[in-house]
Amino acid sequence: MTFTAPQIDYAGLSPIITLTAGVVIVLMVGLLPRAGRWTCSVLTLGVLGTAAGLAIWQWGEHTDLVAGTLRLDELGLAALLIALFAAAVTVILSVREPAAEGAGHGAFYALLLGSVLGMAILSMSQNLVSFFIGLELLSIPLYVLCGSAVRREASLEAGLKYLIIGSVGSATLLYGFALIYGTAGSTDYNEIAQGIRNGGLADDTLILIGTAMAATGLAFKISIAPFHQWTPDVYQGAPTPVTSFMAVATKTVAFIASIRLFELALGPVEASWDGALAVLAVISIAVGNIGALGQDSIKRLLGYSGIAQAGYILSGLVVFDEFGVEAIIFYLAAYALMNLAVFVPLVARERETPFADDIRSVEGLGGSRPLLAWPMTIGLLGLAGIPGTVGFMGKLFLIEAAVGGHFTWIGVAIVVGSMVSLAYYLRVIAAIWMRPEPAGAGAPAIAGASPEAPESNSAPGSTHGGDSSASRPGSTHGGDSSASRPGSTHGGDSSASRPGSPGGSRCWLIVGVGMLCAAATIFFGIDPSPLVDWAANAGQSFDPFAG
Amino acid sequence: MDTSWYLVLSALLFAVGFSGVLLRRSPLVILLCVELMLNAGNLALLAMSRSLGDQDGQVFALIVMVIAACEVVVGLGLIVAAYRRRMPLNVDDFRSLRG
Repeated sequence: MTFTAPQIDYAGLSPIITLTAGVVIVLMVGLLPRAGRWTCSVLTLGVLGTAAGLAIWQWGEHTDLVAGTLRLDELGLAALLIALFAAAVTVILSVREPAAEGAGHGAFYALLLGSVLGMAILSMSQNLVSFFIGLELLSIPLYVLCGSAVRREASLEAGLKYLIIGSVGSATLLYGFALIYGTAGSTDYNEIAQGIRNGGLADDTLILIGTAMAATGLAFKISIAPFHQWTPDVYQGAPTPVTSFMAVATKTVAFIASIRLFELALGPVEASWDGALAVLAVISIAVGNIGALGQDSIKRLLGYSGIAQAGYILSGLVVFDEFGVEAIIFYLAAYALMNLAVFVPLVARERETPFADDIRSVEGLGGSRPLLAWPMTIGLLGLAGIPGTVGFMGKLFLIEAAVGGHFTWIGVAIVVGSMVSLAYYLRVIAAIWMRPEPAGAGAPAIAGASPEAPESNSAPGSTHGGDSSASRPGSTHGGDSSASRPGSTHGGDSSASRPGSPGGSRCWLIVGVGMLCAAATIFFGIDPSPLVDWAANAGQSFDPFAG
Repeated sequence: MDTSWYLVLSALLFAVGFSGVLLRRSPLVILLCVELMLNAGNLALLAMSRSLGDQDGQVFALIVMVIAACEVVVGLGLIVAAYRRRMPLNVDDFRSLRG
């Protein structure tokens, strides 16, 4: 008996293989007695950078992998690149995260890489089975990461809430998949579409129930109202770097996966789902924007804003054409930049002030720490869709897609939603620039009570100005982190509490990342053509509309 | 015997699981009910796979079992961690996050 080995496209699978190897290596290295926080985080950044490099190398390939369960094309790679970028920023933010200290850096980063691996599989999957595996591989490490700050009850509560709601969403999705599989006769997207067309099943009850349940399950994951209740709670309770990763990467990948599922596999029943999703989009825009008004916790505010943004992005899926897909990819990239520009200063402030993520933590930031204040301001203006930022261009494309696809009323909803959203985004910006810094803002977060330390407010601010002006916006992550090592080895949390000490060095890396995201937000807002070309390239690789 | 009976049974299981998630208060029981929902999906997959004469559904069901086990491991871990923190094991009392 001869054994014929299967044909394996190692080149096409290389990003996935890298991430899988990375999970194992980082976990193992984390167990070494001498492995510190920098060993693990630099290693993780290396894995993410390698995966990104391989993804860029495979850009332009169009093949089926693993017997057709994964599809290698620019659409999936675009989502993967955004997820890798978000993960790299999260790693930089997590270097001094208490949750990562408690869980062990190796375990923390291995879980993060595991989640990114799930994202890689999910964004490429064109089979119900690989979709489900990718989704769960993405979610299960995130449940753990959300609850990883075991000393804080809020974190455990967030992890448990996310686990329960996420599992209910997965189970609903699975039941929908079972019905779709049973009726259309296959788990492969192309064969499902063919089965529905050939069998004349577009009005079949089981297909429609299955589609509805799959949409519900996905709506739980991307926090579309009315399945959004967990979002603000989990965003607030999870460690902030994890929140930023969840907000950006999960949303991106889940949207790309829904594009494949709905437009390829369920394309023949488009007439049945587009109206329902359009209504969900408008409900999300309304619920998110109204819920965010009057929130004092910035993380909660961003949770509600994420619900509204999910509603905006959903309009690109509803229109069911190539321009809609391109608008989604553009907006997802823009959303990643803008959201990270807001989260990065938030993480820095959370560790410097005793106010955690309350709006008081950013009051007076414009005067004392302009290099943290600017990224946050630019990010918030971008999320609101102010011209000159990439958020404006993104919303423009989404509205154009909605109007072109005869969903003008969603375009109107996006405009009205953006107007309402200015109320809460500007409230934070006003707190940054127009309020005095509250007393005790310079005290470290760990202290809890607020010891008076007025002179420490100004000292770190001035040292920061000198430090972070040296950060080059174009520098790579690897270079960034190795360069910062000598400066921050002795920085520690203690340096912030010592007034007058050059403690600013400990987070110039964070400031640099924030400035990088903000600079990109402005750059692509003024000259969006590189990002537009990129999104068009990714959108054109996915073409179920021709058939 | 017709496939539809299996589907009816799986739909009933799913409904029992879902109402359990909504009505019960202990996170442990909620986790059990989520398992019930996932197994309802498994039953539907197996019934469909049998009626289609196709193996994919069986493979899918096996994979779902593994994933369900992973979810339970994480869920129980979180519940044990919460118990050690002397948090109330009642989802109605999870109130530190709201607003």
